[in-house]
Amino acid sequence: MPAHTHPLPNGLTLAFERRATPGFSFHLRVPLGSAHDPVGQEGTAGVVEEWLYKGAGQLSARQFQDALDDLGVRRGGGSDAEATFFSGSGLGADLGAALELFAELVRRPKLPDSELPVLLDLARQDLESLQDSPAERLGLAARQLVFGGSGYAHPGSGTPQGLSQITPASARAFWQRSGARGSILTVVADTEAQTIIGLVERLFGDWQPGDAQPVKPQPQLGGSAHLQGDSQQTHFTFTGRGVSPHSPDWFAWHLALTALSGGSASRLFHAVREERGLAYTVHAGPQVVGGEALLSGYAASTPQRAPETLDVMLSELRRWRQGLSQAEFGRAQNALMASTVFGSESIRSRSGGMARDLALFGRVREPGEMRAEIELLTLERVNAFLESYDPGPLGLVSLGPQPLSAPQTGSEAAHV
Amino acid sequence: MSEPLPPLRPVKHQLASGLTVLTERDPDAQTLAMGFFVRTGARDELPAELGASHFLEHLMFKGSETVSAPDLNARLDALGGQANAFTSEEATVYHAASLPEQQHDLLSTLSVLLTPALRPEEVGTERGVILEEIEMYADQPDSRLMDLLHAEYWGQHPLGQLVLGTAQTVGDLTPDVLRRNFTARYGTPNITLVVCGQFDESSVLAAAEQVSADWPRTTFERALTPHTPTGGLSLTIDADLSRAQVALAAPGLDHADPLREAAHVLTEIIGGENGRLYWALIDTGLSDSADLSHAEYDGAGTFEGGFSCDPPRTQDVLDAYRAVLRDVQDNGVSETEVRRAARKIAVGAVLRGGTPQGRLFTLGMDYLARGELLSADESVQRYADVTPEQVRAVLERRPFDTLRVAALGPIEALS
Repeated sequence: MPAHTHPLPNGLTLAFERRATPGFSFHLRVPLGSAHDPVGQEGTAGVVEEWLYKGAGQLSARQFQDALDDLGVRRGGGSDAEATFFSGSGLGADLGAALELFAELVRRPKLPDSELPVLLDLARQDLESLQDSPAERLGLAARQLVFGGSGYAHPGSGTPQGLSQITPASARAFWQRSGARGSILTVVADTEAQTIIGLVERLFGDWQPGDAQPVKPQPQLGGSAHLQGDSQQTHFTFTGRGVSPHSPDWFAWHLALTALSGGSASRLFHAVREERGLAYTVHAGPQVVGGEALLSGYAASTPQRAPETLDVMLSELRRWRQGLSQAEFGRAQNALMASTVFGSESIRSRSGGMARDLALFGRVREPGEMRAEIELLTLERVNAFLESYDPGPLGLVSLGPQPLSAPQTGSEAAHV
Repeated sequence: MSEPLPPLRPVKHQLASGLTVLTERDPDAQTLAMGFFVRTGARDELPAELGASHFLEHLMFKGSETVSAPDLNARLDALGGQANAFTSEEATVYHAASLPEQQHDLLSTLSVLLTPALRPEEVGTERGVILEEIEMYADQPDSRLMDLLHAEYWGQHPLGQLVLGTAQTVGDLTPDVLRRNFTARYGTPNITLVVCGQFDESSVLAAAEQVSADWPRTTFERALTPHTPTGGLSLTIDADLSRAQVALAAPGLDHADPLREAAHVLTEIIGGENGRLYWALIDTGLSDSADLSHAEYDGAGTFEGGFSCDPPRTQDVLDAYRAVLRDVQDNGVSETEVRRAARKIAVGAVLRGGTPQGRLFTLGMDYLARGELLSADESVQRYADVTPEQVRAVLERRPFDTLRVAALGPIEALS
C-alpha cells in the first residue's frame, strides 16, 4: 500500500506505510545536527543526543532503557551534520508504547547537569580515537577541505576547544530549539492509518514548533591536502561537483555512477582491482550533504602503488564522461531498478528511506514510481548528460607515509 | 491487525549430484535470495597454506573454463549487484539476490562461481588485491588486536588460523596448491544451496540438479583437535596510537551445545546496550566502548569482548571489566534480566527474518553448523524460551575463570 503522508498543524510531517508484517519500525528525524552547533561550542549536538538518554519524563536513564527492553525494542539513532535521529523497531502490538517512550525522550528529557561532564569526556575520547583510524582522519580532512569555515567542517564529536566551552545551560538551550517544525516521523506497521494518526497526534500534536533552520553548506571545489601518517596504505579521497536531487538529471547521474562504480563489472572496480590488482577498496559515488550533492571517491593502496591507483581512477573518470556502452547502460539500469525493491524490502530500511525522502525531496517516493522513472532513461539521454557533466576541479586529500606525487595532485591532473 | 501469516517451513532436498538444497518459499516476498554454503574455512587449512580458503573465495569470481571473469562480473551486475561472498573459520558462503523474474539467471550465474578456472595469470592479479586487503586491516587497530588475541587464545589450534593468511603464506600460494584445496574441499557433499523468498521450487531444483551434475563428489572430513584454553595477558606497546584497546577471550559453548542460546542471552545481559558493562564502564565515562559476544564453532566456542579507553586508565578499566564478569559468575543474573534479554534477541530474530536475504543467512548458517532445519518461528522461540536456570547452568561452568587478555596501545604496564 502506498505511503500516507499527514502533516500536523504544528509542522511535524508524519508518513505511514501499511505492510503485512509482524513488526513495526519508526524513524524520527529532528532537523538539528552538528552543523547547528553554536560557533565556539562545536560538539553540542552530538553530546546532547547522548544526554537525552539520561532520563526522560518520570523515568531515570536506566528505567528508560529497561522499559524499551521490556518491549524488546531494537533501537538506533544518533546525529549527523543535519539532524538528530531516533529509530525503533519491534513487534506490532508494542508500537504505541515504544513511540510513547521516544516522545518522552525528545520532548521531556531531564538533561541532568551531573551527567554532562561524563558525556563531554566521552566526546573527547571519541575525537582521540579518530586519530587511530586512517580512513576517519582522511574523511575529516576532506570535510575540512570541502566545507572549511562552515558548520559542516567539524565532526559530530566537535573539537577539543568547542567541547571545553559547552555548559549545561548552553546545551539545554540548544535542544530547546528542537520541535515539530521540519521534524519528520515515519512509521511502517500493519495497522490502520487512522490509528497511527491518532497516536501521533496524541503524542506530538502539542509539540512546540521550535526554531531549527536548515544550515546551507557551501562546498568549495578543488584544492588538495596531505596528512602525514605511518599507515600501511596510502588512503586518498576526492570530491567533485554532483547533481542536485531536484535536477531532472538525478536518475541519469545515479545510473551513470552505477556504471562507474556500482558492481564488479563497473569501470573503477574493473580497471583498478580486476585488471591491475592495485587496491582492495575502490569506489566513487554520490554524497548528499545539506541538500547539496557531491561526487566523492576513495581508494587505498600500499604507498608505492597509490600513485598508479589514483592515475587509473582519474583516467577512468575522464573516459566515463565520454559515455557508456549499451551493455553497461542495461546492467546499470537493471541494478538501479532492483535497488528500489531491495532498498524498501525490510521495514527498517523502508521507514529510514521514507524519512530520507521527506527530508531530501519533500515527499515519499514509491518504489514503483522510481522504477518507472528509471525505465524511461535511455542510453542517449545518459550519455548526453555525461557529456555535459563537469565534476571538476576535484578536491584531493591523501594520508600516508608520502604525499601522492605532484603530477597527480596538481590541479591540471585533478580535472577530469 | 490482519490475520497472522501461516508460518513458513524450510524443506530439505537431496540431489543425485550429492548437493543438498534447502528451500523456503515465501509467497509474499518481493525478491529471492540464494547462496552456496560451503562447509570449509580457515581452520581446514594446512599451516603453510594459510589464506587458501579466502584466496579461493576471491578466485571464484574470476570465471570458469567457459565464462570469462569480465563476463561473470557483467552477469552478476545485471542481476542487480547484490552478489557477494565471505570466508570465516568454518564456512565459505557465496550469495546473491534478485527479483523473482531473474530466478533462472540467478542460479545459473551463481553456479559459475563453483566451477572456477583458477587461471594462473588471475591468481597473480588477485594476490595483489589480497595483499592490499591484509594491509588495510593492518591499519585498523581493532583488527590487529583481534589477530593478537586469537593467536594467544588458540595457540597452535586450527581455530586460531588467520582467515586472510599472512603476506608470506598468501605470497607462496600457487595455482596448484589452490586447485588441490578446491578439489579436496568443494565436493557436493560439503555444499548446501539455500534458496529463500519468491521462486518456483520445482524449476530451482531441476536447474540445481543440472548445474551440479559434474561437480566433484569429494567428501571432506574436518579434523577436530581438542583445545585447552589457558588464561594470561599480553601487552603490545604501540606509542603511535592514541587509545588503548583491550580484547578478552574465555571458553564458550560449541555449536552442538543445547545451552548456546542461553550463552547469547548471557552476553546480552553483560554486553548489550543496556547491559552490565554499559552501566559500569561507559555510563561512568571510564571507557568509550565495551562489549561481549559469543561465537560457537565445531567442538569449541568462545566468549569474546573488549573495550577502548584513555591509555592511563587501562588498568582501572580492565579491573572494572573483570569485576563485572566475576560478579555475574559469582552472584548470577536475575529473572528480569533474562526475560528482557531473551525477548530482545527474539524480537531481533523476528525482524531479521522479514526479508529473504535475512532469512537466507540464519537458515544456511544454522544448517551448516548443526545440520538442523529450523523454521524462522522455531529459531525465534528458542531464544524466547531461554530460562534463568539455563543461563545459570552456563555460569556454573565458570567460563570467566580462564580469561585471556590482549592489549594494544601506548600502555606502560598492565597486569
